[in-house]
Amino acid sequence: MPMIEIDKLTKRYGEFVALAEFSLEVGKGEFVSLLGPSGSGKTTLLNLIAGMTRPSSGRIVIDGVDVTDLPASKRDLGMVFQNYALMPHMTVFENIAFPLRVRRVPNAEIKRRVGEVLDLIRMPHVAERRPRELSGGQQQRISLARCIVYRPSLILMDEPLGALDKKLREEMQIEISRLHRESGITMLYVTHDQEEALTMSDRIVLMREGRCAQVGTADELYFNPVSPYVADFIGHSNQLTCTILREEGGNVVVGLAGGDRRAVPRPAFPVPVGGKAILLVRPESASLAARADDHHSLRGTLEASLVVGSNIKHVVRLDSGETFLVQELNHRLRARPAIGSAVWVGWSAEASQLLSAS
Amino acid sequence: MNHALDTRHAALLLAPLTLLMLLFFLMPALSIVWTSVHGGQLDLAAYRELLTSALFRRVLATTFEISIEATALTLVIGYAIAMHLARLTPSARAVMMIFVMLPFWTSILVKSFAFTIVLGDAGLVNRAISWLFGTETPIPMLFNRVGVVLGMLNFLLPFMVLPVLGNLLAQDRTLQRAAETMGAGPVRIFLRITLPLSLPGVLSGVLMCLSLSVGSYITPALLGGRTDMMMANLVDFYTRQTLDWPAASAIAMVLLLITALIVVLLTRVRGGNVEVL
Repeated sequence: MPMIEIDKLTKRYGEFVALAEFSLEVGKGEFVSLLGPSGSGKTTLLNLIAGMTRPSSGRIVIDGVDVTDLPASKRDLGMVFQNYALMPHMTVFENIAFPLRVRRVPNAEIKRRVGEVLDLIRMPHVAERRPRELSGGQQQRISLARCIVYRPSLILMDEPLGALDKKLREEMQIEISRLHRESGITMLYVTHDQEEALTMSDRIVLMREGRCAQVGTADELYFNPVSPYVADFIGHSNQLTCTILREEGGNVVVGLAGGDRRAVPRPAFPVPVGGKAILLVRPESASLAARADDHHSLRGTLEASLVVGSNIKHVVRLDSGETFLVQELNHRLRARPAIGSAVWVGWSAEASQLLSAS
Repeated sequence: MNHALDTRHAALLLAPLTLLMLLFFLMPALSIVWTSVHGGQLDLAAYRELLTSALFRRVLATTFEISIEATALTLVIGYAIAMHLARLTPSARAVMMIFVMLPFWTSILVKSFAFTIVLGDAGLVNRAISWLFGTETPIPMLFNRVGVVLGMLNFLLPFMVLPVLGNLLAQDRTLQRAAETMGAGPVRIFLRITLPLSLPGVLSGVLMCLSLSVGSYITPALLGGRTDMMMANLVDFYTRQTLDWPAASAIAMVLLLITALIVVLLTRVRGGNVEVL
């Protein structure tokens, strides 16, 4: 039995549809991220699950119980907020003890369990401190401990690392993953940061305009995006408009704007000859050459070469006018074509993919 | 900007007010001090008499009783009003604020007379009660403690609602949402989160109401009975009935000191120097 079953959930604010017939299942112990730009409906979905707002239609089942009409306090959830939401007038101990006191847990057990979670987050000595005496990262760990301590069936996180700087964010990502592993609690994580979603999640729900654009593992979303939107949102992508010329074995041959022909694995959707499609090539799957050869056959002009430590990014203006990004490993003594010179880009057929143009 | 010019500007702008305060507040206040010590003789007899006067002790106790009763009632009702206002949309709140501020804009004299119409034996409230419950004897609400406290409640309400509302609006709503998801019901959320976080606002409202009510004069005079005499009424009694000006001045000084003490506490709360949490 899944931990969360969301069935055709819709939320309208007047004419505006914040969430449209959204369905999703999350398994027990899973870590699922809701990823999307602002306004894509991810926070609306989280608030609906938490019980902060009521859906216009649809059903939410948590751990086998239909909670659609239950108030937030009866759903047995944990929630972590971007601003931590720790009680400023309580000590760290009292903050973590709060949900246990709500559940009328005896004092001795409260003491033991709060001690345990403080050990779990590796902050055993802060019990008597006030939240404002702690750093942002520490406060967010306390707020996680406050959820874990009462073992809710599900922990919802609303951009919990949004207020932290980059380095601390990376530390906290590892920390949250560890706490998820060790506690085994199902977690639903809202973020607009794709890197965060990719590194932490078992599965990612990529959202767009109140709908689900694609659900899958980080690899699935990266290597098998179902639409140009997904391909564009996750990582960098080169998307070239092409025309279907013919099928050839397991491949389809397509014609590019410059007249160049390329083989690409046959996609799952139908590809009528003469139809338009999008050819997707990830920058790191492509390579650059100073002279044309069998492999490098698409001509352009090198506009820029950006060295980012171990990587080098080439920006190529193709003769068709499209921009093409090539990412290669940076080697010592590697000869680089001059900026403004003619270059040829290429990729192997199996590293490319056709996307439906519609 | 030129610093010297700045100071001269400030002095020029403040001069009229300073002059006014000197002439019409500080001078009379000093003359009261002067009178209270029997002129230049530095005689503390008036203060000694006060300490032994049963009337003064009685009135002092009554003053504190009424002030505390009125402030407590104002706190309960004012807090409820502030909580309601805090939950409204800003535009609805602006409209409702007019009703909170209404007693503010009405003369206390007019209000007190209005209360005699509302609270009298044949007044609105008593007629409503006898119509609802079929009772014959009216409940005495005028010229006694009930009248004084109700009259003061009406006057004090804005002074409680404003600081409490300001505090409630400044509270982080996610704290309540967090408590709710942790399973806390509305009563626990109020007692453990909203109320303790609002204590600075409550304290500043309470001190404000206390300092305003200890100096009440018109309300106890018009709505109270013989036993509801307060300090200011006693001053009036000594100045006009017994013509004992040193005694009246001494009482005025005591009243001034009490009020000053509360105001000092108030500024410390406002300044955040008092650790209430």
